[in-house]
Amino acid sequence: MTSASVLALAALLLAVTVLAFLLRPGRTSTLEFYLAGRRVGVATNACAICGDYFSAASFLGVAAAVYVSGLDGVWYATGFAAGFVPVLLFVAAPLRRFGEFSIPDFLGRRLDSDRVRLIAVTVVQLIILSYLVPQAVGSGITWELLVGAGMFGLSPYATGVVLSTVAITTLVVLGGMRGTTWTQAVQFLLLLAAFVWLAVAVLTSGFSYPQAVSELSSEPLANPVLSGGEWRLATEPNHLDPSTPATFGEPGGRYGPLGQLTLMVTLVMGTAGLPHIMNRYFTSPTGTTARMTTIWVLGLAGVFYTLAVLLGTAARALIAEAVPGRPWLAELTVDGVLRVPEHAPLVLGRIYGGDAGLTFIAIGALIAVMSTIAGLLLASAASWGHDVYERHINPAASQRQAVWAGRGAVIVVAVFSAVLALGLRPDSLTALFPSIVATMVTWAFALAGSALAPVFILAIWWRGTTSRGAGAGMITGAVVAIGMFASAPWVADPGASEVLLAPTIVAAPLAVAVTVLVSRRTEPPEDLDRLWLRLHGTAGDRRAARLARLTIAGVGEGKR
Amino acid sequence: MPADVDASFRTVRRVAVGHFVVFLCVVAAVPVLTLTVDWWSAGSLIGGLSPSFVMAAFGLYVFFFALAAAAATLSNGVEERMLGTQEREPAEERDEP
Repeated sequence: MTSASVLALAALLLAVTVLAFLLRPGRTSTLEFYLAGRRVGVATNACAICGDYFSAASFLGVAAAVYVSGLDGVWYATGFAAGFVPVLLFVAAPLRRFGEFSIPDFLGRRLDSDRVRLIAVTVVQLIILSYLVPQAVGSGITWELLVGAGMFGLSPYATGVVLSTVAITTLVVLGGMRGTTWTQAVQFLLLLAAFVWLAVAVLTSGFSYPQAVSELSSEPLANPVLSGGEWRLATEPNHLDPSTPATFGEPGGRYGPLGQLTLMVTLVMGTAGLPHIMNRYFTSPTGTTARMTTIWVLGLAGVFYTLAVLLGTAARALIAEAVPGRPWLAELTVDGVLRVPEHAPLVLGRIYGGDAGLTFIAIGALIAVMSTIAGLLLASAASWGHDVYERHINPAASQRQAVWAGRGAVIVVAVFSAVLALGLRPDSLTALFPSIVATMVTWAFALAGSALAPVFILAIWWRGTTSRGAGAGMITGAVVAIGMFASAPWVADPGASEVLLAPTIVAAPLAVAVTVLVSRRTEPPEDLDRLWLRLHGTAGDRRAARLARLTIAGVGEGKR
Repeated sequence: MPADVDASFRTVRRVAVGHFVVFLCVVAAVPVLTLTVDWWSAGSLIGGLSPSFVMAAFGLYVFFFALAAAAATLSNGVEERMLGTQEREPAEERDEP
């Protein structure tokens, strides 16, 4: 631990608290607390969505997956980015035009059913929990490597988990959506800056991307495994051609014939069902700005993931060469290969920038974790505080009571996820899942893509969707996805196991089929035309644009 | 429901589904090419990188962005041209949360 590291971390935690205080909502209202008054512009919202979306799975996990599996690891990055294409085509504009506070609230209103709202709340909470726990794990890993010492009698890993959870819970409780939006936007720019700095440092040191891929691909891909209490390197089997070993630059390092496709379907469908990302679209002023925001997100995601893949490749090529003469690196590696692949960007940071470089990248990792945790906690708060408390427990609640219910929900969910993360030890799970952070996030995507996204898209585009159909579809998607995950450890066949671990390719079509079949036998809401007009009409967009023009004209007049 | 909103909804849906089909075909083509064309995984394209690596590491991001920009431009244009003359605001939208 260096004094610079401690100072930088203290500054980060202080900055988060001060920002939360300065940007706290001026009025106590649920519209301000959950949706920042619906006045977040395109560029700000795009950066905030990126801050929300690029979690530890993106900042540490993508580079780790590339580091471990080569080309097959690249598909994580591709899938994460690709998910925003269906969001733009099918969800962003109509979702914002319809309004509301959250996915459960949207489904409840669109289908005129409290039952559907409660089923959606259950699914949303499961997704949020599966997403929160790996973020907390990521913060523990980062603290362990950066500071290497615990506080308050806790281990370094536990200290990272606890401190990041406390800091971000404070931000969300004080700042609500407005404070969270601005900090997420700034946090994303810092994340991008960390990757750009590291990529420039690596490339200017003489690193050749094509040459590295070519050299890494000339020998079998091998990774550390713990066997009989000893770490050793084991060659990865080629899942496409068992007669040859897997190599870095060719497919087969991780997935068989179906694996790539099942992962892509899971990540693509999952994005459209992620509550913390979809909730951000409600903060846009209009449907058209929500659509344009998604284009910005796709551009920024392309840049970010291109750099993440480059850094994963650079780490694989450069860390092994850097071990001689660096005792600290020898402790982290087995024959030049990292034991915990999530350490890859952090180790590169230390190699190229010393302790300051490690601090910069580690702070980037903590920022990635904290901004995603903030989004997830807000989504959870909206779900408990608005969808459950305001709609069901206390419909006569004052705005103040409703906001405090949301704040209480934030604290409870944060504590629960931190406790679960403390029960996990990432290095003990590395042998089971090559990149535990990215793998756990995939579970959240699978649940979102299987249970929520199919029903969500049908509710937007098919007039025949009914509340009973949607409820049956969500339950089917969730049960099939969870059942397939749970049965994966008992299936020996690698092909079947790939499908079971990324089950959306099976669960989502089943959810669609059940939704359609049940909807055909039941009646849609009576005022469907009014709901449809609200979803697909643009009167609200034009009214918001007129209001903005009048406000600008009024400000101009006032200045003159 | 006003006829112009219904017509605009159907046109935007056609735009979305059309672009999604192109998206699916391109994304599905990558694993299919991996399984069927040796050159795709073992060939050399930019500086010795295989077409498969180039596509996964950069190419698909450019494609996603271009596809999204095209679809958004088209959808915005459709809504701008087709809506706004007959449409009336639904009552509930005025006091939306």
